[in-house]
Amino acid sequence: MSTSTTPHLDRRPTPPTRDRDPRRVGLRQKLGRWDVKLSPYLYISPFFILFAIVGLFPLAYTAYVSMHKWHLIGGQGAFVGFDNFAFVLQQPNFWRALRNTFSIFLLSSVPQIFIAIILAAVLDANLRARTFWRMGVLLPYVVAPVAVSLIFSKLFADQHGMINTMLNNIGLDSIRWHADVLSSHIAIATMVNFRWIGYNTLIFLAAMQAVPRDLYEAAILDGAARMRQFFSITVPMLRPTIIFVVVTSTIGGLQIFDEPRMYDQLGQGGSDRQWMTVTMYLYELGWGAQKSFGRAAAVAWILFLIIIAVGIVNFSLTRRISTDSAPKSGRKAKR
Amino acid sequence: MRKTTRKMWAAAAGVTGIALLATACSSGGSTTPAATDKASTASTEKITLKVATFNEFGYNDPAGSLYDAYTKLHPNITIEPVKAATSNEARDNMNTRLAAGSGLSDVEAIEVDWLPELLQYSDKFVDLNSDETKGRWLDYKVSQATDSTGRLIGYGTDIGPEVIAYRADLFQAAGLPTDRAEVAKLFGGKDATWDKYFEVGKQFAAAGTNVPFFDSAGATYQGMINQVQDAYENPADNTITVADSKEVKDIYTKVLTAAKTDNLSAHLGQWSDDWVAAFQNNGFATMLAPGWMLGVISGDAKGVTGWDIADVFPGGAGNWGGSFLTVPAQGAHPEEAKALAAWLTAPEQQITAFKFKNTFPSQVDALTSPDLLGVTDAFFNNAPTGQILANRAKALPATPPFKGPNYFAINDAMGQAISRVDVEQTDDIATSWTKFTDAVSALG
Amino acid sequence: MSAPSIPVIQQTAGRGAARAAARRRHISTGAGSDRRASWVTYAILVVVLLLSAYPLYFAFLLASSNAGAIAQNPIPSLLPHGEFFDNVHRVLTSDIQFWKAFRNSVVVAVLTSASVVLFSTLAGFSFAKLRFRGRGPLLVFVIATMAVPTQLGVVPLFIVMSQLHWTGKLTAVIVPGMVTAFGVFWMTQYLESALPYELIEAARVDGASMIQTFYHIALPAARPAASMLALFTFVGSWTNFFWPFIVLGSSNPTLPVAVQLLQSSYFKDMSLIMAGVTLSVVPLVVVFIFAGRQLVAGIMQGAVKG
Repeated sequence: MSTSTTPHLDRRPTPPTRDRDPRRVGLRQKLGRWDVKLSPYLYISPFFILFAIVGLFPLAYTAYVSMHKWHLIGGQGAFVGFDNFAFVLQQPNFWRALRNTFSIFLLSSVPQIFIAIILAAVLDANLRARTFWRMGVLLPYVVAPVAVSLIFSKLFADQHGMINTMLNNIGLDSIRWHADVLSSHIAIATMVNFRWIGYNTLIFLAAMQAVPRDLYEAAILDGAARMRQFFSITVPMLRPTIIFVVVTSTIGGLQIFDEPRMYDQLGQGGSDRQWMTVTMYLYELGWGAQKSFGRAAAVAWILFLIIIAVGIVNFSLTRRISTDSAPKSGRKAKR
Repeated sequence: MRKTTRKMWAAAAGVTGIALLATACSSGGSTTPAATDKASTASTEKITLKVATFNEFGYNDPAGSLYDAYTKLHPNITIEPVKAATSNEARDNMNTRLAAGSGLSDVEAIEVDWLPELLQYSDKFVDLNSDETKGRWLDYKVSQATDSTGRLIGYGTDIGPEVIAYRADLFQAAGLPTDRAEVAKLFGGKDATWDKYFEVGKQFAAAGTNVPFFDSAGATYQGMINQVQDAYENPADNTITVADSKEVKDIYTKVLTAAKTDNLSAHLGQWSDDWVAAFQNNGFATMLAPGWMLGVISGDAKGVTGWDIADVFPGGAGNWGGSFLTVPAQGAHPEEAKALAAWLTAPEQQITAFKFKNTFPSQVDALTSPDLLGVTDAFFNNAPTGQILANRAKALPATPPFKGPNYFAINDAMGQAISRVDVEQTDDIATSWTKFTDAVSALG
Repeated sequence: MSAPSIPVIQQTAGRGAARAAARRRHISTGAGSDRRASWVTYAILVVVLLLSAYPLYFAFLLASSNAGAIAQNPIPSLLPHGEFFDNVHRVLTSDIQFWKAFRNSVVVAVLTSASVVLFSTLAGFSFAKLRFRGRGPLLVFVIATMAVPTQLGVVPLFIVMSQLHWTGKLTAVIVPGMVTAFGVFWMTQYLESALPYELIEAARVDGASMIQTFYHIALPAARPAASMLALFTFVGSWTNFFWPFIVLGSSNPTLPVAVQLLQSSYFKDMSLIMAGVTLSVVPLVVVFIFAGRQLVAGIMQGAVKG
């Protein structure tokens, strides 16, 4: 049988089975064999079929669309090669969108990871009502980003927002949350962090709890203080998890749309595009004033390439940083 | 335990399959699974018509819904309201669904600013010409919605004749007249100009109330640009001319000088959270107000006394907005939808809507109807809003300004240019204009 | 020569064995160290909890007030105003079609979750327990697809949906989400350790066909992970905005899209908007209260196995 379910442990050669199989193979057995051979492919096919339609095909089709003039309502137009790409790369708005996207991404991912690790360390203690605290941390995750953005937008309103009013009450100037570039990025990054810190905290918490306790025991015996334990044992052991979180938040963070879109009532990212992200720019090109699918598709492909590039950079950077800080004698403690 | 698990999975799989089929067949549609015969005129067939509007058309007010009234007249028809959000949103939705070929409601409201874009695709709309509605509207309201082959794609609903709304109490504090006739004279009456408006503004500012004169440079600009005949495009061939237009640039500079240099503006973006809140916080003393804006003011400024309107407008008269009801050809019940649209845009219905939401009628008969002219508004110091708006409407030129297919997009870009200087103050007047011309060149 | 540590025991022989070993050694299983939590820890946690919950409470406060009061008092009082149910009523009877959006969200989320669980378990079973040609590379391919950004394909997907005349219909949102790489990966991982070969062997020896084996053996074994996957997918689907926004629009919205419609009306009554926001948040919070423990467990299990 070509498809076997016996575990690999059984490696002893089986004795010749001359007497076992009859010459004639009955229909039932034939069907049985086909069943076993084909079933796996059948069972994994829904995913691959759907991915082919919804993932691969759009990827290829986007490339095709990006090479044409393609109007939202009018449909496919003439072939223009790389004109759409050239156009997009010359638009100041594109570069603003790129700047905004990276800025928001850094302002959200970096604090997120730090805070999540610290929170996880806090949660890693011997707590009463453990599940309650963990659920409390996770609560923001179930609130839709759209709703989060509406609420925070009211908090961050320039003239009559709660935060500015509180600042004024203690004598500070209002911050122009909807006018200044950096302030708007901080506000939007806050929204993203609000939603995702809890989720990442739980991921780090799980990884922390998988750290073998005898490492800590050995460190205590060696006289290491809590802080030292944290930086020399916990953080290096979290390396794969950190890499995982960095890569997934890269993929997600560079595509951000919901929060900046809902940040004001117009949805254009500010009159000077202070907080418009690349995905918002994609939407504006395709469904907004220009109604050009060709240009929108060009932006989509550029974004894809950027995500891959940044993902790879992030991956190697994080690996290098984590490796440097890991003690070379990490294995010593195990003995 | 096992049996229940298996049953559970079987049920889940079954439900998934059935429900998927059900959703594919039924959601988004507006008909019963039975006859979808387009030519059917059977009046006993139960159908549901979806009517999509935006902002506040006044059709479905809790105090007296026109939809309910129509259902009383035609018991087999149920009307399902669909509310698009702002005009921008509704336009996005319209474009997307037109492109998709499905998803639009049976009756779709559109605004005059993006009507020209849609005229390019007039074949996707039902021809609404009919004897019953001939001569119902002002001429230009009909010609705006007619394509080059004579097909009428929209029935006019309202127009937006503008007045100046002001806070009488703040005027009093600044030593200016408060009676609406006096205020009209203050701004120049029949010969009111923008220069005069800004001059009064400087007078008001000097009086020391510390309240800005007008709410937003963008809104004021709207009033000014709608008086220019061929502002952004060449009517002959639809080419974009705004980048070299001295007239537009002068208006742009004038309004921003008043807003920023003379600091007459409250630096608010219209429709923003801060703008809404400003009504309750003495945010500004005057604003340009088309008929439909009066309902917005009375809503946002609930509890504030002192608002009034004056029968005057700089430049004589201005029009902002104005909508139409269209019937997309992709709908399942074009005949019934056309009949509904015709009824909703009849003079009587429009006057009813006006009483609720101040959407001023574009129908000829309505403009002279005593029913309309007698309407007053308690919020605005019992001003005879019907009469005043009718006066302003009469003063409008016979031909409205030309708006080509790129009008909406250009106007949008201009709005952002003004916002950069007035609201967000990230640019000065010159650099913002350069960014504007850059944005416009991407449209061509 | 030290005995294997508890986590190692856990990974090879299961949780029960780990707990037993820990008990024998009088140490903890690693789920929470032996440090007693100080009051500082609890203080920090309380602050975190307040920060997590305040924005929701803020929305509720505004939703129980009225537009005028909100405009005049940017910092809302700590206690609700009392008009919450009035505002909720106005939202539900407005033109925004909240009930319809709610219904749509439920249909989409339930169907998507059911379908994702079903297809992911099928695929997971195959990858985890069946040997077939190309298994390794195909699994790697599945994982690699997780890197493809979802926003990338909107333009062509929209074109396809237009040609199928599915725009404005819920199918356009459900079908693209029917099985995910994450789901396949999740079930593969879980079934690899939770479904012993012996059980499958026994079924095969008894003459069961592949599908029978799946139905009677794999599905029941997958139940814990499947319910967690269902929960995740449900949350993800419910809060999804970008694609439903493009393809459904205002005529047939899901809840997040309806919330967005609230915001951009001209006449902006902030109390109405916040009432709508609160309403949209409530369903998932209710689910969270009942199934939050599993959600937490799911995330943490996934982290370790990942």
